[in-house]
Amino acid sequence: MASHTFLSLLLFYLYSFHLLRPIYCSFGSNGFETTSVPKEEEFSEELLLKPLPDYKVLAHFHFTSTSPPSSSNGKHHHLFPKSIAQLVKKYKIRELELSFTQGRWNYDRWGASDPLSTANGKPPGVELWALFDIPTKEEIDATWRNLTHSLSGLFCASINFLESSTSYSAPLWGFLPNNGDLRYGALPREAVCTENLTPWLKLLPCRDKAGIASLLDRPSIYRGHYHSQRLKLRSDGLNGIVIEQTLSVVLQPIDRTSWSMHQLFKKSLTGKCALAKSSKVFLEIEGTLVSQNENILELVGEADMVTNDQRDHSTIYQYNVERYSEHEALDIRVNWKKLLQVSFLQAPLHASRFLMGSGNERGSIAISLQSARNSTKGLYDNSKNCFTRVVIFQVVPWYVKVYYHTLRIYVDGAIRDAKDVVEKINVAPSEDKVSPGTLEMMLQFPCGMMSAALTLDFDKGFLHIDEYPPDANQGFDIPSALVSFPDFISRRIYPDSISSPLLQSYKGRNIVKSYTEVLLVPLTTPDFSMPYNVITFTCTVLALYFGSMVNVLRRRVSEEERLAKSKDKRKPGLIPLLISKISNKVRGIKEDSANQSQSSQPILGPKVVFKVVLIALIAVLGHYIFNSS
Amino acid sequence: MADDTSAAAGTSTETGAGTESNLRTTKPGTKRLFLTVSVLISFLLGAPFLLKSTEIHRSPLPSAAISSLSDHLHSNPPSFPCHFQAIFLSPFKPSDSSLSLSVAERIRAQLSAQSCGNCNFTVSVTVDSGSSCRHEGDAASAACLWECGGGGLVDAIEGRDDQGIDELLLSAVNGRTGGCAGRVYSIFVIEGRDERVVIGKHRHAWMVLKDLDDSTSVVSMIGTVFGDYFMRGGVEKGEYIPVGSDGNVVLSFSLLNSNPSDWIYDWDFQRTGEVLLAPVLEALAPVANITMESQVLYHAPKSSISYWDEKLEAYVVNTRDLPFFVNSNEWHLDTSLSASGRSKVLQFVVYVPSASECPLYIRTPEGEMSKTNAFISPMWGGVAIWNPPGCSMQSQGIHIVRDVLPPQELEKIIEIFIGQLRLLFGLNSNYVEPSPKFKVLASEKGFTNWELDLLYRQHTCFNLLSSLSTLQSLSTLVESLPRMIVMDEIGKQVELSLEAANLAESNISLGINNASALSSIRARALAEDAFFHPSIMSISYSSMEHYFAIYMPFFAPVSLHVLLAAVKEVKRYFAERSKYLTFRASKLKSS
Repeated sequence: MASHTFLSLLLFYLYSFHLLRPIYCSFGSNGFETTSVPKEEEFSEELLLKPLPDYKVLAHFHFTSTSPPSSSNGKHHHLFPKSIAQLVKKYKIRELELSFTQGRWNYDRWGASDPLSTANGKPPGVELWALFDIPTKEEIDATWRNLTHSLSGLFCASINFLESSTSYSAPLWGFLPNNGDLRYGALPREAVCTENLTPWLKLLPCRDKAGIASLLDRPSIYRGHYHSQRLKLRSDGLNGIVIEQTLSVVLQPIDRTSWSMHQLFKKSLTGKCALAKSSKVFLEIEGTLVSQNENILELVGEADMVTNDQRDHSTIYQYNVERYSEHEALDIRVNWKKLLQVSFLQAPLHASRFLMGSGNERGSIAISLQSARNSTKGLYDNSKNCFTRVVIFQVVPWYVKVYYHTLRIYVDGAIRDAKDVVEKINVAPSEDKVSPGTLEMMLQFPCGMMSAALTLDFDKGFLHIDEYPPDANQGFDIPSALVSFPDFISRRIYPDSISSPLLQSYKGRNIVKSYTEVLLVPLTTPDFSMPYNVITFTCTVLALYFGSMVNVLRRRVSEEERLAKSKDKRKPGLIPLLISKISNKVRGIKEDSANQSQSSQPILGPKVVFKVVLIALIAVLGHYIFNSS
Repeated sequence: MADDTSAAAGTSTETGAGTESNLRTTKPGTKRLFLTVSVLISFLLGAPFLLKSTEIHRSPLPSAAISSLSDHLHSNPPSFPCHFQAIFLSPFKPSDSSLSLSVAERIRAQLSAQSCGNCNFTVSVTVDSGSSCRHEGDAASAACLWECGGGGLVDAIEGRDDQGIDELLLSAVNGRTGGCAGRVYSIFVIEGRDERVVIGKHRHAWMVLKDLDDSTSVVSMIGTVFGDYFMRGGVEKGEYIPVGSDGNVVLSFSLLNSNPSDWIYDWDFQRTGEVLLAPVLEALAPVANITMESQVLYHAPKSSISYWDEKLEAYVVNTRDLPFFVNSNEWHLDTSLSASGRSKVLQFVVYVPSASECPLYIRTPEGEMSKTNAFISPMWGGVAIWNPPGCSMQSQGIHIVRDVLPPQELEKIIEIFIGQLRLLFGLNSNYVEPSPKFKVLASEKGFTNWELDLLYRQHTCFNLLSSLSTLQSLSTLVESLPRMIVMDEIGKQVELSLEAANLAESNISLGINNASALSSIRARALAEDAFFHPSIMSISYSSMEHYFAIYMPFFAPVSLHVLLAAVKEVKRYFAERSKYLTFRASKLKSS
């Protein structure tokens, strides 16, 4: 009983702790808006289709489940996935995001500063970050370790590799401003496939049996150019637990100018999930006016509502899935009348990262930032007081030993003093086999800048033979760096007449950010058989030395010679004869008497034949015994 | 090579005959012989050191102690001290003097097999009718015996209902016995008009008999109550008790909507279920630490086929198809995350059939409908089918029915689940009385005290046996793999587990219930920790092949040299010595 009261006191304490800082809680988030708290668990499903400038189509599935704040969270649930609620309760998670991505979001072609791409562009592989509601650092680390194991069991992925302290870091402001209770880890090489999708679907009340998720035909969605599956959850005392499950796929329609939902997914949408509060399909066209759109594209299928966002960046066509049934499936068809001239929003700077140098000893990492001036001209002027802020967050594994003092910054090709450009920097150097190196850096560039580059030199470390992965020769991945632009906010505000959690999340203060490429660093790989080679080689040398020493000590050379002479006189066997011949030749002794005696005797006597047969027999027997055992 | 040397040795003696080299004038030297032989000997002496230095670390496991304890427990399973007493509240003159002996005999006769969790019992008979007070039989101590003076009970019993009598007798038993090691079970025998036998909710029963003179029937009745009910719970053999090795059980309740496009049912489990189940969980607290959780799942069809039965006007599932009823592909029941470590999760599923298979019933092999419409799967949990009201009307409504399971219905289902829980724990779901005179009072807690005692005994015994079988498997495994690394930690865990098992065994025989249960749980947990220790997997990294691959390149050629040298040198020495001896002999002869 005492432990119960203690626990409830502790819970009360934590809860009150929570209530005391609601402002802080809403600060860390960007996707969620505080809305009126529902009494019951709710679920809604949405799909957003968006033609991309290069005639590909982005399909963005968005599922939201909410569980109101309640003492029974983690115990009794109706719609909300029990396992997630238990996860939140057990590990005291405040916020968590897990993404599985295959392919890379093409910021140049698919857009970089609209809310959809800033929120859904994710680095290849697995990325996991979590904010905990735990006071001490040690406890957070322990909880993180347990969390990775639980998640890897839940999602059938090797997230448990993030358990080791060499693979996760605790950024303070480069990723998301926090109080040191954030942990971030990435596994760039994790392959994403259906075995990750199935457990993800299990969290939806209708799974892929009904509703929008029934469109998820595995061959169609995995054929895409980009595939990112995400789970984002947030829990606090006011809103309870909210999970957003999104799946973004970039698909290539067969016909570039005309495509339909059925063609894309090879399935048709016949109705909503019976448990969903709302079930909607949106078509978003980047463009200014509806009237203008009518000239260039033709939509088959009547939309329930057409609206523009406040700044006329895009047009949204809304379809309510409730209206459709098995007899009349929802199938949006888009026909382009003219060639597409969609202007899309680029990020202020285009970031890319690459390796320099050669050889297996050292190299350097370079991050290059190219201005995308032509499209965002309005944001710049050439006055002296205008600056663009850029935040770079990068985690480097310990075996890539970065020398942070070698940081060089080039602006428009000319080297600049770091003091002039760096506004804020936080470096956590790597510790061998303990922790990775983390670099958080806030830079200030003049607005008129065309290009900038950062370089950092590094040495390649040596790993212990056990630490190499099975495919060591492939090289090692450095996770994507995150480049964000805190001055640029991507938000789209739609009329309140559309109640949609997806469009609601567009309203949030989403900072424009982009992930860079994953780097592949080849390390010196040892010859893994070397220990055995060394052992066998030295042993052979030692055995030779030992054998000859024993022989030198033991043999009587004069006596052997005398014996050999006397042996030559009688009829020797075939093998001893050969041996003595060879040995005599080696020693350079002339054979004279041997030849004479040989002519008088037949070479193959019965004794010789017997011996040969005996040896053969022994060999056969030996072979048989060895094989049978 | 060997062939070669023997030939050489053979020819030397052969050809030497009659020649000059046959004789030797000096004593053969022993320098080289000493050298080669000492090298060989030093190698032979060094071999144990080499073997010792390349030995794999194996913590010694007390395999002898494990097998001896396990043999001991199998040959005579631990039995708990119990005391059975029959109290005659009416004047009774037994025909034979040793009534207690015949009762004990009667109980023993029913104990067919030595099963786990039995009582090591003593029987006493007390006649307490007003003036006379007589004890007979054996008891561990006088404290176990009924203290006379309960004569007023007979009158008090008159006119009360069974519940009332039960409570009355409980207070009487509590007042008049106490301080006995082990449990005391009592039966009160009263003379009266309407004959009946009632087993109460606590640790006593009472029987009203018309005629106490027929002592054989009295003895047989007492023996049945003691042997079949108090000792074995009316079941033939004790099943495994579904409790995790850390003593935790999670009851996971799921409401499965087969097809939500027909109708969607929700439930208020939190309010109804928790209230109804809380006393059960409280009652089971000594056996297991139980937690509950619930969820509602959708799109979860069953996987066995049902048929339309004209006679019953319903869809039926035959009993033989029940093993396929649980659809593990679509029923994402999930093991609970809160079930940490080695907790046991028991699934209880309410299945709401879809419109195409409603109403759905389970047909027994006799062709009748199952009364509860539910079934269990041992060690997994139970399934109950609930047909929505009016589903047979084939309503073709466009609107989807969204409803909540009515609380009365939920109560019924929970009652079924409590019965299933009893079955899963190895008890009868309810007692089928052999005659109308016979009655077993059911507790509102789901489990009566004497049933809990039984579970407690079985659980302790099961833990003990399972810990020993785990330990024995581990020691067999370790013995069968000589190159397996056994960490010190494993050895320590095995030792502690064995220690706990020994302690539990001695506590059982002393009748200290709590301590024995605790140490038996500890023994099982430690044994499983040792068995599932992650380091056991490291066996593949130190195989015999590796060992040979490392040492062969040096020792194979060197040992060949050393052996050959020694053989040759010894042979030569003896040959030369014989030459010298013949020379000496001939010299002596000539002189």
